[in-house]
Amino acid sequence: MGFFSQARLITSRDLVRERRSGEVLWVTLPFGAIALLLVPMAIGTDAPLLEQVGTGLFWAIVMLFGVLISIRQTTGETQAQRDQLALTGIDAAAIYVGRATASFVLLVIFEVVLGLVTIVLYDVPVSGWWLVPILITIVAAGLSLLGTLAASIVSTGRNAAALVPLLVAPLSIPLLIGATQALEVLDLGGSSLAWVLMMIVSTLVLAVAGVLSARPLQEI
Amino acid sequence: MTDPTPTSTSTTWPWIVMAVAGLVTFVASMTVSPDAVQGQLSRIMYVHVPSAWLAYLAFIVTMAASAMYLWKRDLKWDRRAAASAEIGVVFTGMALGLGMIWAKPTWGVWWTWDARLTLTSIMFFIYLGYLALRRTTDDLDVRARRAAILGVLAVVQVPLVHFSVEWWRTLHQPATLLRPEGPEMATSMLVTLLIAVMAFTVMYVAMMFKRIELARLEDAVLIAEQASDGAVAGAAVTTPTIGRGTA
Repeated sequence: MGFFSQARLITSRDLVRERRSGEVLWVTLPFGAIALLLVPMAIGTDAPLLEQVGTGLFWAIVMLFGVLISIRQTTGETQAQRDQLALTGIDAAAIYVGRATASFVLLVIFEVVLGLVTIVLYDVPVSGWWLVPILITIVAAGLSLLGTLAASIVSTGRNAAALVPLLVAPLSIPLLIGATQALEVLDLGGSSLAWVLMMIVSTLVLAVAGVLSARPLQEI
Repeated sequence: MTDPTPTSTSTTWPWIVMAVAGLVTFVASMTVSPDAVQGQLSRIMYVHVPSAWLAYLAFIVTMAASAMYLWKRDLKWDRRAAASAEIGVVFTGMALGLGMIWAKPTWGVWWTWDARLTLTSIMFFIYLGYLALRRTTDDLDVRARRAAILGVLAVVQVPLVHFSVEWWRTLHQPATLLRPEGPEMATSMLVTLLIAVMAFTVMYVAMMFKRIELARLEDAVLIAEQASDGAVAGAAVTTPTIGRGTA
């Protein structure tokens, strides 16, 4: 079985598992939507203010709650399951790519649904509509690669579920800044290319780091 | 893997070196003339800048030692990486704290959303995460392997922090020492700053020596505890209590 067939197998397994458990759809997604509801209660229900902060808030919530999606295997898998998967002979790098791809699919769904909730609740103007799908795709790719890498590093150690967000949150900042600034620059009539390129480079670095570290980490 | 060998931590020279280095920095920074504009406040710089330098140095050493561990798989490299990261975190915190104390009277605020400040705080949290990661398992090899990968990846923060003042428009002043055109500073201040930087570097070496020594002992204790904690076959089987048992 080739590398990509192995990765596809892992992706299917993770998505089937998600379909059965509904963790993202029934837990993380409503949790993110509640956060979008809570913020106006804390800062005030001033419509112009909410319209102004809506986009940035959306990306911040995507980063913070999206981490929960990309690390769900950390809490859902035991060391014995990991060992068994390693014994099947599937390439560790293919496992990394497969897991990240499944997280990517779930993150895209998460971002689209939360984006619609943000537009409705905060009355955010959809400027630069053509850029939004590109940003959603890059953020989903970057966050899934980063979360999967962090989850592989921490694995099933003590406090793993709490530690992975601590590692992911600071490292996801290039994606957060890129996503918010790309839309802001566009609003001001500038070019978003530099920000988009920065996000792509960050994502590629994460992909390379994840694939290269997959094999040493599987020895655990 | 190299088994840690318990050694004594009674070596006194690092303590003496640390004390002398601290004294040299104190004397040098207190005897130089104050800055014409900032006055006495400028003396903070003689500790703030060496702290930031030490943070860079410590995290670069962490990266190099982590890479060496991944190559050689010898735990001595892991201990060096961890010791250096711990010292780096302390000095990053010190640089941030001193910067805030300086910023309040100078800029009017404790904190501003400046690229240098924000990226330094991110670097601080990433290495706190590195230290937290080391506490997730008691298996020395597993701990070393996980930490080494993060130690190599996290170093990307160092150039980001250093060049942030060049890449973004920031309130923080650009580099005055490590710049291609050479240092931009009055000679007396420059000499004092260089003395402080050298003293801090010597202090780092002494701290590393003591911390590595301590880490070796910690590992030895951990191994000894794990050896004594091993469950004996049948240990879970206890004598059944019949009736009310005995008092």
